[in-house]
Amino acid sequence: MNVIEAKNVTKIYKPLDFWKKEKIVAIRNINLEIKKGEVFGLLGLNGAGKTTLMKIFLGLLKPTSGTVRIFNDTIENRKIRERIGYMSELPYFPKYLKAYEILDYFADLFNIDPKIKKDKINEVLEIVRLSGRQNFKIKAFSKGMQGRLGLAQALLNDPEILFLDEPMSGFDPLGYKETRDIIIELNKKGKTIFFNSHILSEVEKVCDRVGVLHRKEIIDVQPIDQILKKHKNLEDYFINIINDEKVKK
Amino acid sequence: MRRILAVAEYIFKQNFRNKILNVLIIFAILSIGFSLLISELAKEVEIRMTKDFGLFSISIFAFLTLVLSLTIQLFEETELKTISMVIVKPITRAEFIIGKFFGIILTIFMNILFMFIILMVVIKIRGGDPWDLKLFLSVAGTFLSLSILTSVALFLSVITTSIPGCIIFLFFTYILGHLTVHLKNLQYKITNQLVYKIIDILYIMVPNLELFNLKDKIHTNFSLFTFDYILLIISYSIIYILIMLILTVIIFNKKEF
Ligand SMILES: Nc1ncnc2c1ncn2[C@@H]1O[C@H](COP(=O)(O)OP(=O)(O)O)[C@@H](O)[C@H]1O
Ligand SMILES: [Mg+2]
Repeated sequence: MNVIEAKNVTKIYKPLDFWKKEKIVAIRNINLEIKKGEVFGLLGLNGAGKTTLMKIFLGLLKPTSGTVRIFNDTIENRKIRERIGYMSELPYFPKYLKAYEILDYFADLFNIDPKIKKDKINEVLEIVRLSGRQNFKIKAFSKGMQGRLGLAQALLNDPEILFLDEPMSGFDPLGYKETRDIIIELNKKGKTIFFNSHILSEVEKVCDRVGVLHRKEIIDVQPIDQILKKHKNLEDYFINIINDEKVKK
Repeated sequence: MRRILAVAEYIFKQNFRNKILNVLIIFAILSIGFSLLISELAKEVEIRMTKDFGLFSISIFAFLTLVLSLTIQLFEETELKTISMVIVKPITRAEFIIGKFFGIILTIFMNILFMFIILMVVIKIRGGDPWDLKLFLSVAGTFLSLSILTSVALFLSVITTSIPGCIIFLFFTYILGHLTVHLKNLQYKITNQLVYKIIDILYIMVPNLELFNLKDKIHTNFSLFTFDYILLIISYSIIYILIMLILTVIIFNKKEF
C-alpha cells in the first residue's frame, strides 16, 4: 500500500525579487510512491530540490502542477497531519525557552491527552537522549542537541510517517549512530520513514530503497540490496549515476 | 481552543523570557518613578504632572512592548524557521494567528497592568488618590488602542517579508493613527481634490487611535467618559480587529514556508 504519492509534481519558485523575471524551476515532473513501512532515502546534491519535494509532501509549499497524496488523502486534512511527524533541516529553537517547554508546546498542538503528556515528553526525551537536559534553556544547547530536540518533537504523536530533512547534519558521529538506531527502531514498529540526506554511509545502513534527485528530476529509484549487488557501496553508485548523467547531457 | 491557548502561552513565555523586554520594563518604572523627583511645585500640580507623565509613559512603553514582541516573533519565524514544524501540526493557520494575537496582547496587558500599579503607588506616595476611575479608563483606552495595533502588526507581518519593513510600517500606522482625526478636521480647508480623497481614504483605513486617547482629557470636565463613548470605542476596536485578523488569515493561508 502506498502511503505517500507524487504525480507529475513540478515546483517553480517565483522570482525572489518582484522586478526580476527568471523563475526558478526547483523540481520537475516528479513521480514517486512510498510504501507503508519502508525506509526511503532521497539522495541528491545541494540544491537538487530535496527539501522542496519534502515541503510539497507536507503542504508547506504548493506544487505549481501535479498532485501529492498522503494516506490517499490531502495533507490539508487535520486528521492526516495528526499521523505524521516532521523535522526540518537544521532546526533552531527560541533560546530563552526550556527544552521541556518547547516539547510541551508541540504536545499541545498535537492535542495529546494532558494526562499522558508528561510521560510522552519524557519518553521522547529518552529516545533522543536528552533526558536530564529538559530544564536547560536552548541557549545552552549545541546545534546537535537542537537537532535532537527537533527529532523529539516529531516523535511526540507516535507518527505513522516520519519526514526527516537532513536529520544527521549538525550531528557528531555518535549522533549519526543514535539517529540510525532510532530510525531502525521506529521502522521495526511499522513506521514509514522518508528522509533526505547526503551522508551516504548512513543512508546505506538504514534504507530499504533510495531515490536519486538530480538536476530537478528523479533519475533513479532502487532497493538498496539491488544497488549493493552491483556496486561496492552507495557512494560508488551515487557518484557513478551522477557522472553518467553528465555524460548524457 | 487548546491549540490557540498553547500558541498564546508559548508567545507570552517567549516574550517574558526575553531580556530586552525586561530592560524595557525597568525603563518604564524609572520613567514613572521619575516624577517623584519633581518637588518644587504645589501639591496639586505635582499630582497632576505625575498622572500625565505616568499615562504618557505607559502608552509609549506599551507600544514599544508591541514592537519588541513583534520583532521577537518575526525573528523566530524568519531566522529559526521553527514555524514550518508548527504549521504541519494539526493546527489550522487561523488558530495559529489568533493564538499569536492573544499571546501578544497578553504580554502588553501584563506590562500595562504592572506599570499602572507602579503609577498608582507613585500617586499614593505623592499624596494623591490613586483610585481614580478616569485614570483607570485612560489606561484601558491605551490597552484597546494597542490591541488594534497588534492586529495591524500581524497583518503587516504576513504582507511584508522583511523585519525592518514591518516595524517601520507599524510606526507609520501608530503616527498616522493619531494624526488622521486632525487631518480630517482640517480637510475642509483643502481644495486639491486628490489630497482631499487621500485624507478620506487614510481616515477610513488607518485605525483612529485618537479615539482611545483619553489621557489628554482626564483633567477636563467635558466628559468623554460616558458609557456610550466607552461602548463606541469597544465596538470600534472589536470590528477593526476582526477585519484585520480575517485579512491576515486569508493571506497567511496562501503563504508558503
Ligand atoms: N524559497 C525559494 N525561492 C526561490 N528559490 C528557492 C527557494 N527555496 C529553494 N530554492 C531553490 O530551489 C532549488 C532546490 O532547493 P532545495 O529544495 O532547498 O534543495 P536541496 O534541499 O536538495 O538542497 C535550489 O536551486 C534553490 O536555490
Ligand atoms: Mg535541503
